[in-house]
Amino acid sequence: MILNVDNISVNYGAINALRDISFTLNEGEIVALIGANGAGKSTSLNTVSGLLRPTTGKVEYLGSDITTVTPQAIVNLGIIQVPEGRKIFAKMSVWENLEMGAYTVKDRKVIQERYEMVYQKFPRLKERRNQPGGTLSGGEQQMLAIARGLMAGPKVLLLDEPSMGLSPILVEQIFDIIQEINKTGTSILLVEQNALMALAIADRGYVLDTGRIVLQGDADDLLHNPTVINAYLGGETTD
Amino acid sequence: MKTLIRQSIRTGITYGIVQIFFILIAFNTMVGIMLAKISGIKNPGEIPAAKFLIAYTILMGLWVGISALSKKKFLPAGHKLLAGFTAGLVSAILVGLLELAMTGILVNKIFIRDFLTVLSFDFIKATLFGLTPVLGIVVTMGAIVLGSLLAVGLNIVTNLNAVQEHWKKDLSFLKNLNDKFQRMIRGKYHLIWQIVGISILAVAVIFIPMKWGSYWNYVFGTVGLYVILGLGLNIIVGLSGQLVLGYIAFFAIGAYTMALLNAPEPHNLMWGFWPALLLGVLLAALSGILLGLPIMRLRGDYLAIVTLGFGEIIRILLKSDVLTDFTGGPRGIQNIQGPMLFGKPFNSEVDFVYLIIAGVLLASFVYNRLQQSRTGRAWLAIREDETVARASGVDTIKYKLLALAIGAAFAGLAGGIYASRNQFTGPDEHALMASINVLSLIIVGGMGNIPGTILGAFTLKGLPEILREFANFRLLAFGALLVFMMLSRPEGLIPSHRPKYDEPNEVSGEMKKKEVPHDQ
Ligand SMILES: Nc1ncnc2c1ncn2[C@@H]1O[C@H](COP(=O)(O)OP(=O)(O)O)[C@@H](O)[C@H]1O
Ligand SMILES: [Mg+2]
Repeated sequence: MILNVDNISVNYGAINALRDISFTLNEGEIVALIGANGAGKSTSLNTVSGLLRPTTGKVEYLGSDITTVTPQAIVNLGIIQVPEGRKIFAKMSVWENLEMGAYTVKDRKVIQERYEMVYQKFPRLKERRNQPGGTLSGGEQQMLAIARGLMAGPKVLLLDEPSMGLSPILVEQIFDIIQEINKTGTSILLVEQNALMALAIADRGYVLDTGRIVLQGDADDLLHNPTVINAYLGGETTD
Repeated sequence: MKTLIRQSIRTGITYGIVQIFFILIAFNTMVGIMLAKISGIKNPGEIPAAKFLIAYTILMGLWVGISALSKKKFLPAGHKLLAGFTAGLVSAILVGLLELAMTGILVNKIFIRDFLTVLSFDFIKATLFGLTPVLGIVVTMGAIVLGSLLAVGLNIVTNLNAVQEHWKKDLSFLKNLNDKFQRMIRGKYHLIWQIVGISILAVAVIFIPMKWGSYWNYVFGTVGLYVILGLGLNIIVGLSGQLVLGYIAFFAIGAYTMALLNAPEPHNLMWGFWPALLLGVLLAALSGILLGLPIMRLRGDYLAIVTLGFGEIIRILLKSDVLTDFTGGPRGIQNIQGPMLFGKPFNSEVDFVYLIIAGVLLASFVYNRLQQSRTGRAWLAIREDETVARASGVDTIKYKLLALAIGAAFAGLAGGIYASRNQFTGPDEHALMASINVLSLIIVGGMGNIPGTILGAFTLKGLPEILREFANFRLLAFGALLVFMMLSRPEGLIPSHRPKYDEPNEVSGEMKKKEVPHDQ
């Protein structure tokens, strides 16, 4: 178990966004966290990455408690979040965005290797490396956001709705890339509203509803679970 | 081209009609009287002197010109000239026609006061500047055209980049010339040119202050201190994106550290200038951090309000009667000793100008290094999206505090030098208005860059002094200038171009400098 989220509750002032939720991520897995808008998916990720603090419960990474560790220290430990909504630095050029991703890396040689790795995965970004991030298309910006995450050398990648607002073809591409990243040894926690796509590539999944986990299990089982089909897959059946 | 002329003629007619209307309601004499009063004439009477009416007419021409060129920033200079001149001429002709008609009234002694109360013979004579009718009409038209040409000039000067772009596009010989020039300063002679440029600058910097009188040295010393202040605030506001308002408090801390340690009253500690300056800088930086710690979570307006409060608290503390024994109270601290260098005391404005120039160079150097460093990139990231910066592993609090500390240190430096140069400091020198001045100078100059800061300091601190010759016109001219500038260049006189580097070359690690616009 690389990540163990144990019974956490998170509040925004009086608003109770997460109530006693637990989930785990094993080494090499893709785990999908699905749920409707406002279910608490981003809140969960932000808690893991240290941007938010739970009021109760704890987050463990490789067996040690990281609940009160600062976000930058968590980045250093290898847990990298790709925030939702393609949040790139619009005024920085593509390579500077990548450079920001490797902000905690001190070794220039390592950074250089990562550039090569990232440019190989995303040739488009290499072509546009001296162009301000804000001038990229939506799909390219999402790729840049993921690439920026990869620059930190993640052991665990937290992806927040990477398919949001992208055309089906682009979503397909992005999900291929996610699988590829996973194959090279990065465990992935994938937050999605697009439950079908997410469960299709995931090993396991959790279904969040208004701050609680209402279902969990193998991705295949969830794909065929009638509740999931009705609530999140628009009633359509999958094979 | 034709549409341009048509548009300009339309503008000319519109404003010509407006001007006719103005004359018919005697607006010209009203403004003339106002101008006369501003320039110090106690009792200008009902009809002001001709020169004020001429000034009014030129202003009207300026107005026509500005209107004709509004939203035409990117026209080539020739077209601008054509547009401004056409509009000016058209409205001049209209006004000329009106005056011709008025002359008719005058010559034929038609008494129409019963219908149009203002059109008395005296008024008509005044409108013709007391000249013979023909000459009066010619002067009127000339003044209007002159005004519109002035507007063209202003428009060109304030939009130099735009014009330059067109030169590059339109006139190939200028383009070639420009290319050659660029190659000369960029190419293999780059270093030589840099050295030549720097030497010329150095010679100027060393010798000009000696030639100037102490008044000019005083003025430019003040400008220099505001450049340091502006750069410091620019680190906080422009680079790290924190809107801090009570900035002058750090200046006060530098000034008071100098004063308390280096004056006979109230403590007679009599430290040297240099250690006092250093301590002032350090204390300012420290107070930057102390102010920063509790406000790190605040953003935008809240941050502005809290820091504004901080500035005022410092001033009130300095002023308070309770602390008079310690800080000199409302009367401030006098007889601050000057610096000593190589065993010889500073005794003239010239020495201080050198000191200030050294300060400006140091501040610019630090600013420049910071902006281009990892730290600069972290600040940019924070400015763009603080949460994402945090998620990328940037210790946002550390960097925001760092910006506050360095910005405050700049202010402490300026404050120490300032107090020592004036041999005096008092609480009211550090009022809110001073903070706003510094903020305005970086806004006017262009947020986030060194040349903009320097230009802003000249405009806001140097120009009012220079305009002092025009005594009472000063404030009016200055206000008009500011309004005009904000209208024509809302992003500041020199919009910010973040120095940007192409991706480091894998082999050599060398960086190529390039500029991309940002902060639009
Ligand atoms: N900054 C915030 N302040 C207050 N409430 C918030 C904030 N962010 C999220 N919430 C609330 O917390 C709940 C969960 O939000 P979120 O985690 O963003 O959901 P999701 O990512 O699943 O769409 C929602 O009810 C949302 O309104
Ligand atoms: Mg969300």
